[in-house]
Amino acid sequence: MTELSFANVSITYRSASTRGDVTAVSDISLDLPTGATLGIAGESGSGKSTLIMSALRLLPKSTTIDGQVRLGGKDIRDLSFGEIRAVRWAQASIVFQGALHSLNPVREVGGQIIEALEHHAKDAWMTPAKRRDRMFELLEEVDLDQSKAVSYPHELSGGQKQRIMIAMALACEPDIIIADEPTTALDVIVQKQILEGMARLVGERGISLLMISHDLAVLSAVCENLAIMRHGKLVEYGPSDQVCLAPEEDYTKQLANAFPQIGDAESRMNPRTLKPAEVRRAQPYEMTDEVVLEAKNLSVSFDTRQGRERAVRGVDLALHKAEILAVVGQSGSGKTTLARSLLGLQEVDAGSQLDFAGTALPRKAKALRAFRRQVQMILQDPSGSLNPKRSVYEAVVEGLRVQKITDDEYARVIGALEAAELTPAADYLESIPQELSGGQRQRVVIAGALALDPQVLIADEPVASLDASVRGEILSLFLALKKNLGMSALIITHDLGLAWNIADTVAVMKKGEIVEYGDVDTVLSDPQHAYTQELLAAVPRLGSQSLVNNG
Amino acid sequence: MTTPTHDLPTPSGEPDPGSTGSSGGRADHDMDEPPKGGSFLGYLLRKLGGALTSMILVVVLGFFAFRMLPGDPVLKIAKERPMSPAQIAELRSQYGLDKPVIVQFWDYLVGIFTGELGESYVYRKPVSELIVDYLGPTLLLTATAAVLAIGLGLWLGQLSAWRRNSLFDKVASSTSLVFWSVPTFWLGLILLMIFGGTLQWLPTGGMITPGLDPWSPAGIIDVIKHLILPVITMVAVVYAQYLMVMRASLIEEMSEDYLTTARAKGLTEDEVRKKHAVPNALLPTITVVFMHIGGLITGAVTVEAVFSWPGLGKLTFEAISGPDLPLLQGTFVVFSAIIIVMNLAADIVYRFLDPRVRRA
Amino acid sequence: MSNTNPSASTPSGSAAEANARVIDGTRLVRDRRLNNVKKNWSLFRSDIAAMLGAIVLVFFILIAIFAPLIAPASMLDVTQQLDVPRYAPPSLAHPLGTDDLGRELWVRILWGARVSILVGVAATVMSMVIGTVMGLAAGHFSGLFGAVVMRIIDFFIVLPSLLLAIVLSSVLERGVFTIVVAIGLTSWASTARIVRSQTLSVESRLYIERARILGAGHRHILFKHMLPAVMPLVLANTTLTVGSAIIAESTLSFLGLGDTSKESWGTILKNSMDISAATSGYWWYVLTPGIAIVLVVLAFTMVGRALEAIINPALRNR
Repeated sequence: MTELSFANVSITYRSASTRGDVTAVSDISLDLPTGATLGIAGESGSGKSTLIMSALRLLPKSTTIDGQVRLGGKDIRDLSFGEIRAVRWAQASIVFQGALHSLNPVREVGGQIIEALEHHAKDAWMTPAKRRDRMFELLEEVDLDQSKAVSYPHELSGGQKQRIMIAMALACEPDIIIADEPTTALDVIVQKQILEGMARLVGERGISLLMISHDLAVLSAVCENLAIMRHGKLVEYGPSDQVCLAPEEDYTKQLANAFPQIGDAESRMNPRTLKPAEVRRAQPYEMTDEVVLEAKNLSVSFDTRQGRERAVRGVDLALHKAEILAVVGQSGSGKTTLARSLLGLQEVDAGSQLDFAGTALPRKAKALRAFRRQVQMILQDPSGSLNPKRSVYEAVVEGLRVQKITDDEYARVIGALEAAELTPAADYLESIPQELSGGQRQRVVIAGALALDPQVLIADEPVASLDASVRGEILSLFLALKKNLGMSALIITHDLGLAWNIADTVAVMKKGEIVEYGDVDTVLSDPQHAYTQELLAAVPRLGSQSLVNNG
Repeated sequence: MTTPTHDLPTPSGEPDPGSTGSSGGRADHDMDEPPKGGSFLGYLLRKLGGALTSMILVVVLGFFAFRMLPGDPVLKIAKERPMSPAQIAELRSQYGLDKPVIVQFWDYLVGIFTGELGESYVYRKPVSELIVDYLGPTLLLTATAAVLAIGLGLWLGQLSAWRRNSLFDKVASSTSLVFWSVPTFWLGLILLMIFGGTLQWLPTGGMITPGLDPWSPAGIIDVIKHLILPVITMVAVVYAQYLMVMRASLIEEMSEDYLTTARAKGLTEDEVRKKHAVPNALLPTITVVFMHIGGLITGAVTVEAVFSWPGLGKLTFEAISGPDLPLLQGTFVVFSAIIIVMNLAADIVYRFLDPRVRRA
Repeated sequence: MSNTNPSASTPSGSAAEANARVIDGTRLVRDRRLNNVKKNWSLFRSDIAAMLGAIVLVFFILIAIFAPLIAPASMLDVTQQLDVPRYAPPSLAHPLGTDDLGRELWVRILWGARVSILVGVAATVMSMVIGTVMGLAAGHFSGLFGAVVMRIIDFFIVLPSLLLAIVLSSVLERGVFTIVVAIGLTSWASTARIVRSQTLSVESRLYIERARILGAGHRHILFKHMLPAVMPLVLANTTLTVGSAIIAESTLSFLGLGDTSKESWGTILKNSMDISAATSGYWWYVLTPGIAIVLVVLAFTMVGRALEAIINPALRNR
């Protein structure tokens, strides 16, 4: 069998640009013995992808590797190009992020699996007929129907594409499988199936698994050992349980904290963060009975080429003053459409009723503009939500100018930034988005909404695109806005943990319908609907290789 | 505009039909239900409708441009050569210009559907007859040039992209930039001067030496000799564009993840290029190539004028010098129709080439 | 809520002071833009081809402007050239040779630069304005209006501009203005397409959705977000289009649709064609105007490509 080891590996990208050479990985030593499972966790830019690509010498020519990368005892730099090609896939294969463009979009997926077999022909698949049989066998292994072999990648779902990637990685009976963010962009339920399947296939065959992800929980659910990387350096390394449950380094603690344990009383209404937002009122606002925004029998349909599709079906919701309501659902559940229609951004079907403060939502442009002062929305990705050419001041003031609020412009902007806890506000006014971190950008977006002094904030996945370490800060800000200002918030998320952290009530959405709706404590500790139970079970837990052991 | 409108291919400039339309629309579709595609019939009908609209616009434009714009066509003829008021009146009634516009338009529409495009002022022959006579040579010239230009451009383009920044790439790209900056007709004149005038290697004009039977072996060789210079002229200017489109498209494709997958599977660089990168880069290129096919076809106007090639282009050139408005109107409508049909055919072929469902 | 106005919590100073700080802020933003310009200039300067192009352009623009001073108009008057030999090949006495009427070709090239470059620039400006408006409209407005605009753009993309320009310039009065209109009205479609795709890509950005959420209407979105986002692209495209407009002018003149009373490079080539210069051995008559066209078009192309690469770093390595 083959083992993979990195000894004092540093990797540098040579660059002609003004930034000069960039060191992506510095002095990493890690071992993957035969049959072991190792996870490398790190946020974007931590160098984890660069590290694993070096194992098969797949980095661009402009990189220099110092130290030793050994595969089966041989330094991969000593291999000729022909030898390294023979090693690729036959000894070590890679499961890329299938949801992205890792499959050739214009070739049938079955053919792409066969291509790997052709390049590493063995007795078991010497002839084209045998290779075909092996391909079908592999599809079966990953629970895909044989008919999928003639599909093109665009005809498959994200989960199916990921299964194809796994089948392809298994094709030539490798000793090592390297998985690069194998479940990113997949829903939790699909994620669980993929991880379980992969862990089982790897375990049965005694294949070693090296998996990288930004998601600590995913790694700890599958791997025995965990390495944490940051800025190209190894921060912490040890058995999964130890790294996750008893981390030694601050950074690891921050990452581990980002994953709420649903049911853990300590993190209920208390997102864990090193920088909590300040609650200024002696008597913080609490959820009241006064209904602010209400939807009755809300339905939204789209015309698609396949006919009319109902994205939201007969939803009843009521948002009270100073309430945080989490709408939880997987992608495609219609939750974003729901949010857009609550803002009047989306045409709703006849028979739907939307009320704000007891009166129906206006439909005319001018009245809608006035209504927007009262209900504001925070979009998913703070980087995309800010015009890259405009400064923080211009971004925050935009709403005021659009709404023709001209008095005290400067004071309002400063006030909004301070309410969003971007302090000292004056120091940030001239910054452009690219000079800010992800968390700071999200604060600017929130300040832009707060400048209008709204009563309701609707937020669409407000922390999904942020690094895990910032998650707690932003969630704690939402909680503080409620407590300090009495703001009501409706938060759209795929993350049940978010509901546990900050929400008063939770609505679970599936295929456009709300299947369960109620108080967070009740719903999450005693889910009634089968779908809620399934969602809860699919949430990866930190440590104890939960998916391998239970799955 | 010797060649198609001179827009340089910018890989990021247009939404390329190659990359599945994941951007743009609301990303609110279920990850675990595969996306559904539109039907072929719907696609066909949409494209057919588009082509039909374009054709209607051409027909309408063909009529009103020649009648409604300032400058009475008959007065215009009258200005070019001396005519008495009586002659002018006679001309008017001869071409139906004394009737109300709406009646004229109706006559014109009926004419188009019955293949009746009026009579040429200069040739004194029905325009449709002239066009039928001159169509063949133009098709021969443009089809030969198109095949060569597309083949050469795409082949050099992919080599250039794959060896980006190599000497080969630099030479190929800069040559194509120079060719791209050359007016077609001027290049024709230069070639004519060198190979027809100074060296006397090739004939300077026409399609065949008078008296030869075009279907005899000697005649075929003679036609090929006449064809060489005009074809080189058209190819030189057009291949450059195709080269740049293909190069840009492949360079864009080269950073895609599936190429890393292919490399990780143990393919050689050549296999990665031929089996994965090029097929993907070809698809968006083909659309751009066909979108600009009209430019290649109208390039025939100046090339045929320079080399006295007896085709629609030369006919157009003569109609301009006349000015022979019915003839010009006829060649305009026919040229446009050819281009629209070519584009429609390209759209349909494309649908079969690219398995991905594209945005509407 | 909202008894707690966020602004109330600010220890805000006097309104005058606040305003002073706002102005200060915009000054800093302006400084950053100035820095950007400097950075881009150094990028441009490092591109040898673009610098050469810029030098060629400056040269031709200068000779176009100062043509009457360098070579008085009388040098083009045929009646005053009776003692000049006709068809004189280039020599010390006649640097670029003379034409069939004894005029010096270098004088004609000099004067021709005026019309050729003027037509190129004017037609391009027209084409850019139409292209930008149509592209923005097609990209921003969904529904019937956007679809109709898109259809029109498609029509002009499919039908080559030369064909339409021939039709337009043959039915309109001959003249420089007609040529400008004929080229400008028919060559905007590629710009419209580029602007449209850029608009569509900006339209799908979240900051546009955010502007809508803040209550913005079409005007705000189009003028505050879309136009600034497409302008750099349009400007780079302008430089590229001038080149093709100059080729278009020469083509139309060559076909006999130009203004025969004014010198332009296309007209010179048309004259040379009329006397079969190419096959009669008067090579300088054909060569010089063509080289002038190629040089200027190439120069515009080089500069345009460099600008495009500065705007879109993704293209920089091509």
